[in-house]
Amino acid sequence: MVTDMPNPSVPAIEVMNLTVSFGPRPALLDVSTTIDQGLLVGVIGPNGAGKSTLIKAILGFVKPDFGSVKILGSPADKAKGSVAYVPQRGAVDWDYPITVEEVAMMGRYGHVPWWRDPGPQDRAHVNQALEMVRMNEFRDRQIGQLSGGQQQRVFMARALAQGADVLLLDEPFSGVDAATERAILDVLNRAKDGGRTLVVVHHDLATAAEYFDRLLLIKQRLYAYGPPQAVLNPALLSEVYEGALRIFSALPVEKGPR
Amino acid sequence: MIELLAQTFVGPLRETYFQKALIGGSVAAIVCSVVGCLVILRRMAFLGDALSHAMIAGVAGGYLFMKLLFQVEAHAPAMLLGSLIAAIVTVASIGFVSRASRVKDDTAIGIMYTGVFAAGVVLVSIFRSYIHIDLMHFIMGDVLGVADHDLWVAAIAACTVLSVIILFFRSFQLTSFDPVMAASIGMPVVLIDYALTTCVSLVVVSAVSMVGVILVVGLLITPAATAYLLSDRLERMMLLSAVFGVTSVVGGLYLCVWLDSAGGGAIMLFCTFQFLVVLMVAPQYGVLARWFRLRRMVPQEVMEDVLGALARGGGKPLDAAAMASFAGTRPERLVRAVKSMAREGLLQEERGGYILTANGEREANRILRAHRLWETYLQHVGAPAAELHPRAHTLEHVHDKASVDYLDDLLGHPTIDPHGRLIPENHVECRPGNVCSLSLLREGKAGVVESVALEAGGPDLKPGERISMGPRTNGGTVWTVIREDGSVINLDHHTADAIKARVVEDSDSAQRS
Repeated sequence: MVTDMPNPSVPAIEVMNLTVSFGPRPALLDVSTTIDQGLLVGVIGPNGAGKSTLIKAILGFVKPDFGSVKILGSPADKAKGSVAYVPQRGAVDWDYPITVEEVAMMGRYGHVPWWRDPGPQDRAHVNQALEMVRMNEFRDRQIGQLSGGQQQRVFMARALAQGADVLLLDEPFSGVDAATERAILDVLNRAKDGGRTLVVVHHDLATAAEYFDRLLLIKQRLYAYGPPQAVLNPALLSEVYEGALRIFSALPVEKGPR
Repeated sequence: MIELLAQTFVGPLRETYFQKALIGGSVAAIVCSVVGCLVILRRMAFLGDALSHAMIAGVAGGYLFMKLLFQVEAHAPAMLLGSLIAAIVTVASIGFVSRASRVKDDTAIGIMYTGVFAAGVVLVSIFRSYIHIDLMHFIMGDVLGVADHDLWVAAIAACTVLSVIILFFRSFQLTSFDPVMAASIGMPVVLIDYALTTCVSLVVVSAVSMVGVILVVGLLITPAATAYLLSDRLERMMLLSAVFGVTSVVGGLYLCVWLDSAGGGAIMLFCTFQFLVVLMVAPQYGVLARWFRLRRMVPQEVMEDVLGALARGGGKPLDAAAMASFAGTRPERLVRAVKSMAREGLLQEERGGYILTANGEREANRILRAHRLWETYLQHVGAPAAELHPRAHTLEHVHDKASVDYLDDLLGHPTIDPHGRLIPENHVECRPGNVCSLSLLREGKAGVVESVALEAGGPDLKPGERISMGPRTNGGTVWTVIREDGSVINLDHHTADAIKARVVEDSDSAQRS
């Protein structure tokens, strides 16, 4: 399936003392964490907490003030091929004349020299990726003719076709309905079962525990990383979200007569 | 001299053709400019161009209709009506193409207006023996040959359009700003859209005879864009735009008389020149203003370097050159920074150099604290010794309170940095009268216990008790507290964090509350 699997004892992502700033207020301060391979990890935290900065730092897009990121044991800026990124849905021109298969094939462009056409091996990768996200039957559709969840899956197929072992997804669940969320989650789990490590920026605390193996709670600093039950503790969450959380007010409370 | 001036400026005014051009041009320019504001805010500049071209077909159609059916030559109202119909047909077909297909708006405009324009050109050339209009007249315009009926057309169009815009100002404003919201409160957005396009068609029709098909779009958008650089409110933008429209016509007409050039060309040349001048000198959005702002702006980092240099200099006055050696920035940037900091009251001049004011010292201590804590942190996470200072020098610019306090707590509130220098204490919370945790208080500080947030088993300090801090022991990890009876309590980091005290001035003036 995935050729030459990396040594499973090496952590997928290793972030050490990462500080990133754009001015006096840091976006990330002293973040250290180790994410093992084969996990589905949700990144949660309030708006402006540095979630996407963390993703960009892992991708090697932002230069940290201090600290380092290692992907499967090698520094992030030398590991471009082993990380793939799935953008937010809003960033795409859906009228662009391109089919599902062609989008997935874009994932192979980094492996194909400009003077060559994609070979059978590349097509095999694309087929595999489309199979995994269950978009095989739509391969000749133009991307604008798909539903929101299908569009999300096409871009996941592209990331899978890159052959990356680590996938970073920026809010794949935003603006899709419950059934679609299930379908996307299913694809995430299949990718995980194929040995990938997935890091997903997520907004919905209500579903976070159910969807992910591990949660990473950040607001500038790393507040917690671990199994959902450990991370989603009310004291920690109300500290990070500054108390304004509806989930806890939904807990049964004694109601007296008015 | 005066005679020459009079000749140059007043002379043309005596000519009827000039008067007509001035009046007609100004009226057309005013209404063009006002509508133009809405056009550029809705990014419809290309549509203006399209309408002006499309109306050639309308003019030809109107002309032929009257000529063939009623044998009337160049019947102005019919040509006007024809232009309007052509404009509306063009807009409708653009809307149809972009709605019915995936072709994007700008492409749809390009397709439909060239099509209608081409139909006009073909029509005129087929019936060239019937139609006695000069196509060039429409393409280039002739402001100096304005006929009376052109003036009337311009005046009527101007009155109609201005009335519509003034009456429905709020509708136009809202639909151009947020059409979805406008629709949600029940505004007939599509109708308003058509009203605006009709207005644009009207003003284009009235202005084409003066400046021509190609230049009319300039008269529509250039004064509006000029005003856009100068104002932040739509009303004012429209007003200014109208003024710029009139000045372009006046300036352009004089230019055309003096240079004996084409009228429309001169007007648009002046208009463009006017825009470029405003683009340079506009107080807020102008190029020069931007440039000055960038120049004046002193980077935060340089200011912090200056503060650091002075604090490390130990109270001796330093001049900019001496600071530059500390800070490692270009001297002229430093001079600017020093001047602006002196204005802000962080520095004062003394004996040929600068020293820190009380404010400056506090600020410098804050940065020094950040720097030395970062150095301690870097050592803590195992950075090589040679990297400590240069790394900390870049990291000290990350000095917001929450981050520095976090480092301080993480490192166990150290008092000295890896080089053995004192880390300035937390000046905000340790100021007399403030409440802070004991872990932040340095040796010799005194306070009154406010709260003890500990579960059972803590030290028996009670709120209200007066204490003073002893030295830190055991490598800085144990806090000693001296009680009033002279006995000493040892606290670990966690306990010291949990006990809060109100800091008092010094050991003698403290009073029990």
